[in-house]
Amino acid sequence: MRVFTKILFIKVLLVTFLLSLLLISCKSTVDINGHFPSPVINQLPYSIGVIFNKEFSGYRYIEKSEKREKWEIHVGDAQVKMLNVVLKAMFSNMEVTSGFHSTSGNTLDLFFQPSLENFQYNVPYETQGNMFEVWLKYNMKVYDSQGQIIADWILTAYGKTPSAFFKSQEAALNDAMVIALRDLGAGLSLKFSQVPEINKWLIIQEKYNKTSTKIVKNNFVNQIEIGI
Amino acid sequence: MENQTMVFTTVLIAMLCFLFGCTSVTVDQVRHQQSELHQGDSIVVIGRRTGSDYETEPDLISCIGSALSQANTALNVIAESDFVDKLYPWFEARTAPVHVRDLNRLLSYEKISKIIDDFKVQYIVWVDGNTEKTRSSGSISCGLSPTGGACFGFGTWDTKSEYEATIWDYKSRQLVGKISSVADGTSYMPAIVIPIPIIAPVQRHACKTMAKQLSDFFTIN
Repeated sequence: MRVFTKILFIKVLLVTFLLSLLLISCKSTVDINGHFPSPVINQLPYSIGVIFNKEFSGYRYIEKSEKREKWEIHVGDAQVKMLNVVLKAMFSNMEVTSGFHSTSGNTLDLFFQPSLENFQYNVPYETQGNMFEVWLKYNMKVYDSQGQIIADWILTAYGKTPSAFFKSQEAALNDAMVIALRDLGAGLSLKFSQVPEINKWLIIQEKYNKTSTKIVKNNFVNQIEIGI
Repeated sequence: MENQTMVFTTVLIAMLCFLFGCTSVTVDQVRHQQSELHQGDSIVVIGRRTGSDYETEPDLISCIGSALSQANTALNVIAESDFVDKLYPWFEARTAPVHVRDLNRLLSYEKISKIIDDFKVQYIVWVDGNTEKTRSSGSISCGLSPTGGACFGFGTWDTKSEYEATIWDYKSRQLVGKISSVADGTSYMPAIVIPIPIIAPVQRHACKTMAKQLSDFFTIN
């Protein structure tokens, strides 16, 4: 009889342990990780300094709603990685700076500071569908070499991915997030020059550079390449 | 003896059909012009992802690509991810050309046309559609106690795959044809102590049928 009670006690302990394991694993943590290709675009002949503040590079979303599953989504590293690739392709020179000054001593024409204003996601049980969806809303700011603001605009991105039989929720949300970041890279690289204030700045620079090139040519100084 | 073998085979097929769940597939094809592939030419299969309430599954696209290569070893199929990554950001969900005439605008950009030329692409196949659960019924309840766990019940659900492949001739910038595939299937899950899933491979059948039809669509010279 005592042996039976002992076995039963061990079984109850085992079941309690397994149930507590299930409860612990209710929180899902995702470190967004993906491949971001370099965009095929015409490069702008300017150098840019990129300011990633701590909130941006360490951005993580923690679900606080009681009605939703517990999620912790680390977005910071992935968005920095994507912007590094895209901005390097967009400009002839790009460097990460901590403020409105170059760390390498190069002259920078522009400074770029992104911030993630809003992050939203949906998981399949909330939409009655089989889709993981992600919305991102960014505030992009571009400054001139003196730190004076040139443009301030909103850029949104969206990504979705279907759930699959052998795919974990974390992997599916990661895929949706990577698609959203690719969408952001597409939006930034293709629409950057079309932002009215930036477009105006680019036209002024082009005119200025043409004039400078003329002056340089007239002075027989071979400095056309650096566009003084 | 012969009759016995036939009965046995019929029963076995019926049992296998039950074990995997049954699927039926309907394929339609429209051809606007001849589609020939020459030695060294390639085709690329890309998922169309503009639908607001569904997403063409990347798994389905890679399944069609590999099934197409297996069905016809002479076909050179470029992986979707390789093509889309190399041409980023021009073939993303929001930037991809929707109509064949949009290719002209895209290819006026020299860098893009050079990359596509390097791939030796002759045909671009756009696949649009998805697989979804259309009906489900039944219930399964499971219990856990110190003496063990068990499930009991029966569940069934229907799945439908609907895909359409649109084939563009990259070189002549024309629509070559369209292939559509509709697959239906019912899956079952009886549970007596343990649940036994009998899944109808609807998406896989849709993929195989689409790949076979695409393979027959191209004439290789």
